Amino acid sequence: MYYIVFGYNMENKITQLRKGILELAILGALSRGRHYGYSLVKTISGSSDIDLTEGTIYPILSRLAKEGLVQSEWVESSQGPPRKYYTLTLKGEETFRILDGEFRKLAAIVDNAQRAALVEVESAYGNVLSVTKETNNG
Amino acid sequence: MANGFSGPVAQIVDNYLERLKKGLKGISAKDQEDLVKEIHSHIYESFRSDPTPDEVTRVLKVLDKLGEPAAVISARMPDAMVTLGKKKKLPFLILAGLLIAFFGVPLGMSGIGLVAGIIIAILGLVLAFYVLAFSMILTGWLAAVILIIRLVVPGFLDPYMDIYPLVPDPTFNLVIYIIGALLISAIGFGLLWVGSRMMRGIRFVFRFLFDKIKNWRKKAPAAATA
Repeated sequence: MYYIVFGYNMENKITQLRKGILELAILGALSRGRHYGYSLVKTISGSSDIDLTEGTIYPILSRLAKEGLVQSEWVESSQGPPRKYYTLTLKGEETFRILDGEFRKLAAIVDNAQRAALVEVESAYGNVLSVTKETNNG
Repeated sequence: MANGFSGPVAQIVDNYLERLKKGLKGISAKDQEDLVKEIHSHIYESFRSDPTPDEVTRVLKVLDKLGEPAAVISARMPDAMVTLGKKKKLPFLILAGLLIAFFGVPLGMSGIGLVAGIIIAILGLVLAFYVLAFSMILTGWLAAVILIIRLVVPGFLDPYMDIYPLVPDPTFNLVIYIIGALLISAIGFGLLWVGSRMMRGIRFVFRFLFDKIKNWRKKAPAAATA
């Protein structure tokens, strides 16, 4: 919906934001166990209502593989075609640890900024209330 | 293609995978096959876990969630361009050697000769360029040092040099020459900088060619059997 309202630029911004965070989410999911593409999508999107274009994880996975952060192997499936399983390399685990810490710090910054704005609004509202109280008393 | 589906569903999946393959022209045959297999597996797993009763509706839903082939491919295509601007791991000469191997074998000895000639010519130009840059820096600095010494010790190295008086005042004349000498060395540094840019460009061209040739080599035997 926001695409229509804000146009292409907003879509672009959202894509950019998602890309980095999606990469982190992939590393996070793999840090808790091995996954093939589809199971990774299911793990990441979970029950959330974020509409993930599932195909976008593949370019990210191939880039991570190129950077030596993940490794993959083909494993025969009991039914259907073989699955390509991904696991984190040692370098990948270390990278995830660092990026995760960094992400939490950044998320805290965004949170703090919002809370600060909220407090400002509340205190302004509080002042109004106390003023009305005083006038009522007087 | 036997893709584990049947009827119209198989056709839809085939069509999708074909479009995917078409978009993968720029990457190596092995990577292409790998990705197509992986996406096929994805479609299969997604299809299996979706409860929609009508199979055609279901497969369309699966492909819609997966996204257009472009989404699956994006950021993967311009392999050579992604590495542009980064320092390359493979030494330049090894790459040149590989180029000779890839080019040379199908074309025979004359091919080797041709490619080796081109590479030597390029290396020669690069070498000449750097020699020029370094000699300009060296000349500039050396001349500047000697001229500065002459400022302090008039007549230094006088038997070996003959300075044309541009202005009547000898000190001012020397200062002009010193600035000139420093300018020459500055041009030398500028050439070095330009050179590093050009090397990047040459590396890019070579890498691009190398990727193309590699893909072509891998594709050729497959085409023969088909």
